Amino acid sequence: MTPTRRAFLTAGAALPFLRGPARAQPADGTLRFGLSAYPPNLQPWVSTGGAAGTVKMLLHRRLISYNAKGELRGELAESWSRDPADGAWVFKLRPNATFQNGEPVTSTDIRWNVEQIGGEKSTAYMRAQFQAVEWIETPDPHTIRFHTRQPVAAFPDWFAGYNMGLIWHRSEAREPVGAGPFRIAAQERGSSITLEAVPNHWQGLPKIRTVNMVVYADENLRAAALQSGDVDMIEYVPWQAMSAVEADPRLKLDATTGPFMDILFNGSKGPFSDPRVRRAVAHAIRREEIVKAAFFGRGAVLEGVPMVQDTPWYDAELAKGWAYDPERSKALLSEAGFANGFQTTLLSTAQYGMHKDTAEVVQQHLAAIGIQCELRLPDWSTRVSQGQRGQYEMAIHGVSADSNDPDGLTPIFDTTLSPSHGRSFALQAPRTVAALAKGRGEFDQAKRIEAYKEFQRAALEEVPLVTLAWRSQGYAMDRKVKGFTNLPGALSTLSGAMLEEAYLG
Amino acid sequence: MRWLLRRIGISLALAWIVATIVFMTLHMVPGDPAEILLSTGGVSPDPAAVAELRERLGLDQPLLDQYGHFLLGLTRGDLGVSLVDEYPVLDEIALRLPRTLELILAGTLIAVVIAIPAGTYAALHRGGLFDRIASGAAALLLAVPVFVVGTVLVLVLAQILRIMPAGGYVPLAQNPWQHLTLLALPSLAIAKGLAAVVFRMTRASVLDALSRDYVRTAHAKGISPTRVLVKHVVRNALTPVLTVLGLHMGTLLGGTVLVEYVFNWPGLSTPLLRAVEARDYPMVVGIVLTISGLFLLINLIMDLLYAALDPRIRTA
Repeated sequence: MTPTRRAFLTAGAALPFLRGPARAQPADGTLRFGLSAYPPNLQPWVSTGGAAGTVKMLLHRRLISYNAKGELRGELAESWSRDPADGAWVFKLRPNATFQNGEPVTSTDIRWNVEQIGGEKSTAYMRAQFQAVEWIETPDPHTIRFHTRQPVAAFPDWFAGYNMGLIWHRSEAREPVGAGPFRIAAQERGSSITLEAVPNHWQGLPKIRTVNMVVYADENLRAAALQSGDVDMIEYVPWQAMSAVEADPRLKLDATTGPFMDILFNGSKGPFSDPRVRRAVAHAIRREEIVKAAFFGRGAVLEGVPMVQDTPWYDAELAKGWAYDPERSKALLSEAGFANGFQTTLLSTAQYGMHKDTAEVVQQHLAAIGIQCELRLPDWSTRVSQGQRGQYEMAIHGVSADSNDPDGLTPIFDTTLSPSHGRSFALQAPRTVAALAKGRGEFDQAKRIEAYKEFQRAALEEVPLVTLAWRSQGYAMDRKVKGFTNLPGALSTLSGAMLEEAYLG
Repeated sequence: MRWLLRRIGISLALAWIVATIVFMTLHMVPGDPAEILLSTGGVSPDPAAVAELRERLGLDQPLLDQYGHFLLGLTRGDLGVSLVDEYPVLDEIALRLPRTLELILAGTLIAVVIAIPAGTYAALHRGGLFDRIASGAAALLLAVPVFVVGTVLVLVLAQILRIMPAGGYVPLAQNPWQHLTLLALPSLAIAKGLAAVVFRMTRASVLDALSRDYVRTAHAKGISPTRVLVKHVVRNALTPVLTVLGLHMGTLLGGTVLVEYVFNWPGLSTPLLRAVEARDYPMVVGIVLTISGLFLLINLIMDLLYAALDPRIRTA
């Protein structure tokens, strides 16, 4: 056919009609959710990231979860308390709870789950914690009593993570049967997962009948998909897109400052084995620049131990313990015998912009006090490997506490734990570790608060790591999506569970 | 026939060399699949859990044993299972490869349909307005990186005009219309570079053919200009164009990585990228083997096509 002006105009006029079918229209009761990654796998207890966590929390029930305010609430557990007689943690199960196959949820199931998680052959995220459970009693089908080797005040929080979905004890290894409100209806490997509400669920049907999760690994495309109406809601909103979302009258943003960036040290050798040098690093960095450069202003300066404001653990003065003070940094360096500074390396990764940008700002500020850093920016997997093996001097890391309770900071601050890419390597911080342990075993609230104040004071002195900046973590959604809440602080990564409360208004 | 068998033999040897190199280098790069998998989300795994997973995945075996196991599997046509979720590598490739091929074929089709007529027209009207505009556009398309074109397409068509989806994939059987709509933007992005190359090649090749004696003779014999153009000029001019097309289609297999990423097209590149990040050895080796095998296959097909287009090659 010869292209004519008429044909061209006809084609042009047809363009607006493409609009309807071009974008998938939501069916009634269907929420289209932009997931940040395709879950590597959905094994209930193995940690495979936040996106997998979101799916897992909808498929499974935990003993305990958090409400919109971040307070503990029962899921499979109706109530829980500590027996003052023998110190056991006692959980009462909901009598009407059933798994998706109709089998009742009993204390035998819970016991089996905990034994598997803490077992010798376990690869579960909470393996080490649950190995601290000495014995378990199941006096009746709806009561379970846990005896821990050491007293643990935040024991209920252990059950609230997204790697704590509880399954039927006769599940096949590859087909875990959960008790959650949704089940997988279809999945397109690598690109989408469709969840549908479980009919006859013991808690009734959620308001949304279907959650169609489409994977958008590229953060900008994820934001574009929301803006173009391809999805109703997205997780991990890129910081650069937050303003556009706020400016769009059709959309809304729900963000919280949960995770944070920090500097880890190799304490086994060199200048960083001296806490004065680490403190010099802590005072040398103007953190506003990190918030600006790495997070487009979507974050907050973090100059102390990461305690969430408005919690009993927060102390305004201690929160500024590592405030920017380059003169003090230089004095500390002189005191440690490095008046003329020194050369070192800073490990980060080029794979994630926030890690690289943070490293560049840190490099600049350390140069100003005489510490010349050579940046090492391998891919993330190499960064993990080198971190784990202590093949670095300083490293940039981004992390979130396990919960808003200060005990949730243990995996980050307790340097006596096994080597990890997320903790400083072979670094001595005995007072910090002792204060953490004291807080963990303390049940009197006033004494717990004091223990964690001491933990903050000790950490400021011993510097097991240097905190840099809170970063904003947000969900963006169409205004018609209602009922969803991004959980506060460190709990933000558990917000996926709130999808079962969402509805399209 | 002997030539064909020899070519196939060389191809198989090359595939083995590729597999060995990829297998060995990947194992030498720092990063432990078990450790990486259990560290997803920035958390610190228990080293005992990592050790347990390593044992379960057979990663605690000596490297040569792992290599032997891999080669043995290969002879049986078994590429192993993913270290991440134990999904068979062959099934993953069977699922993803058709999508990547569809993208490449659609891109090539768009490029060919636009660029060959445009190149011929530009050559016939050398120096004219169309020639100058099209040549300029071709240079521009070649210069602009594919991720920029992709991002601009998403920005304009999906975010501003909202006439196309931002990206994604729907199986053809599920919704043919939506499938084609989702295919449109990534194919366009793939086509842009190829179209520019094919346009320039066609133009140069047609210009070259136009000046040949046999064309002058054909005109002198009184054959109609259209017939001269189609039968003598374009047909002869297409041989070098095909060479370029063949070479580029091969490189497109690797070049779809960015396009698939930008448009969320779940082809073969995405799992390859993810597998490299996760040090999912069997998956990486399987996909690289497939891509190199296809590269060799495309070259073979191109050789056969030359023979079809140019009788001299057939008789040689």
